[in-house]
Amino acid sequence: MRLKKSFQLALNILVHSKLRSWLTIIGIVIGIAAVVSIVSISQGAQQTLESSFSNLGADIITVSPGYSRARGFGFGGEREGGGPPGSSSSLSGKNLTAKDVMALKSVQNVKYVMGTVSGRVDVSYLGKTASLSVTGVDSSIWSDITTEKISSGRFLIGSDSYSVVIGNRVATSVFEKAIPLNSKITIEGKSFKVVGILQEGSSIFMPEESARQVLTDVGSEEFGSISVKIADVNFANQTLNDITKKLMLSRGILNDKGRDFSVSSPTSMQATIQSTLNTMTIFLGAIAAISLIVGAIGIANSMFTSVLEKTRDIGILKAIGSKNRDILMIFLFNSGMIGFIGGLGGVILGGVAASLISSMSGITTSTGGGPGGFLSRLGSTALLTPQLIIGALFFAVLIGVIAGVVPAYRASKLKPVDALRYE
Amino acid sequence: MAKNTQSDDVILRLENVWKKYDMGEAEPLIVLKEITLKIKRGEFVTITGPSGSGKSTMVNIVGALDISSWGSVYLKDINIAEMSESSLAYLRGKTIGFIFQQFNLLPTLSALENVMLPMQIVDESDSKAKERATQLLESLGLKDRLHHKPNQLSGGQQQRVAIARALSNDPEIIIADEPTGNLDSKTGKFVMDFLSRLNDDGKTIILITHDIELVKYAKRIIHLRDGMIEKERINKNEAK
Repeated sequence: MRLKKSFQLALNILVHSKLRSWLTIIGIVIGIAAVVSIVSISQGAQQTLESSFSNLGADIITVSPGYSRARGFGFGGEREGGGPPGSSSSLSGKNLTAKDVMALKSVQNVKYVMGTVSGRVDVSYLGKTASLSVTGVDSSIWSDITTEKISSGRFLIGSDSYSVVIGNRVATSVFEKAIPLNSKITIEGKSFKVVGILQEGSSIFMPEESARQVLTDVGSEEFGSISVKIADVNFANQTLNDITKKLMLSRGILNDKGRDFSVSSPTSMQATIQSTLNTMTIFLGAIAAISLIVGAIGIANSMFTSVLEKTRDIGILKAIGSKNRDILMIFLFNSGMIGFIGGLGGVILGGVAASLISSMSGITTSTGGGPGGFLSRLGSTALLTPQLIIGALFFAVLIGVIAGVVPAYRASKLKPVDALRYE
Repeated sequence: MAKNTQSDDVILRLENVWKKYDMGEAEPLIVLKEITLKIKRGEFVTITGPSGSGKSTMVNIVGALDISSWGSVYLKDINIAEMSESSLAYLRGKTIGFIFQQFNLLPTLSALENVMLPMQIVDESDSKAKERATQLLESLGLKDRLHHKPNQLSGGQQQRVAIARALSNDPEIIIADEPTGNLDSKTGKFVMDFLSRLNDDGKTIILITHDIELVKYAKRIIHLRDGMIEKERINKNEAK
């Protein structure tokens, strides 16, 4: 019998199959949907991660107070602001100081060093007030260090005082009316002129001196973080180590145990988050795999029952000349089809579920008012690639075929005389 | 594969065939004993006998659906016990056409598809299979039932589809196991007359029945009792 005919007979069995077969298919649909949604969300998160960190600039190294928490970057809140390096809130540990900034300027391969202060402040515009994140920067070099892009207006310059550059979301979404360029906003009772609007973001940037006036809990010589721009990115790791050594020396720290600051580059942060994401994907994928195993057992069970129901038909087929191989192929095709249809349904359901989850996390970000959490931004896009679709379908068919091997083999080995006698 | 040529005329030969079924700790059940039989090409042989005489087992053995416990069965001078399952299936599909009492049509296929199937199994092209299946069904008066499923056909129509299927590969042997058992007398007569015509055209017909009325169609009658050939006679009053 040609394979085409075996396929047609398998399709015929499926088309005329009972509710049981369709319930079996639902089992596979759920398993594949779980895998597809997890993988597509994970892939989307990784893509967002890569794009976010590519915006941060590979030549920026960030020094933050506190050590242990810095190593677990990403989910604890160090970067709650979601902004660029330098916008982090203060951590437990001794704050960074102007002395540290001075010390870093002498490190080889360091081009610019900028201490920043940040915190939340009340911002008023046209009678409406919102709590927003403010970052004080060295306005003379900020435009050289930052990876932010200006939408309108200009960056801060050295001579600026009581001037701010605001993120796009602050300008358009936070207040009832959009904040135009050159308008005045009130921050903690002081009036500031908007000299620039960034392409994105929900932070406000102002000269460090001005920031110290509106941020009451920041010490006069302390910085929330220090951003370092390096000259040659090829020596980024070496420079990172040099910065660490230099700071330990200047802060009088003898070993890692006493270390009270952390040094990170976008690459190292990305690697940490990537690793965490991978662990999460593997963990969730393993849970989804269990549901697939249950689905596979469902297929095997359904196939055993199907073979039992079709015993007489198998006898007829054998009586009219079908070989064992023909019967084997018919039932393998049948179980493969169950897997394929389940896989197809799973891909569709998984895609829908992933985009629903993504859009829900996107809503969280956009309705948060303030800066969105990094994690919620990671979940804001699901990526259903052709490779994932094809892989999921192939995997579903494979599961179907594997689950059908034993029932199909048993069907093929039935003796025609016994099969024909079966009632 | 052993070929044992005795005569060109002999198409099926059983030599001292026994069939027993093991019954666990109980005594084995012997259903066929010392069956030695030759069936020539173009013969119309009826195997008859009371219930429990071994007729059904005989059908399975001569139809190569089962193998004997002892003895040898030669189909076209080939000892079927020495054939692989695949070779035996192919030989069965090409050489033997079965007509069953229960019709045994595949319920989810149409009449046309049921008749095409044996040809497709032996790798005949779909177009040729469809052409021949249509011809066969039309010759059996089922022109307007080609696309009906078995459950949309009467018993007589189903049996005619089964006959068309049995003839689809133009086999040399037709084995009919109680072919009229589920049919009314008129349809039963149609089936028997059709088998008789096939025999006239040179087909070897092996009819298994307990219906004494059908014996008249055969040229040779083999009577089984208790798993043995009790008597064998030539039918001089063969019905035409």
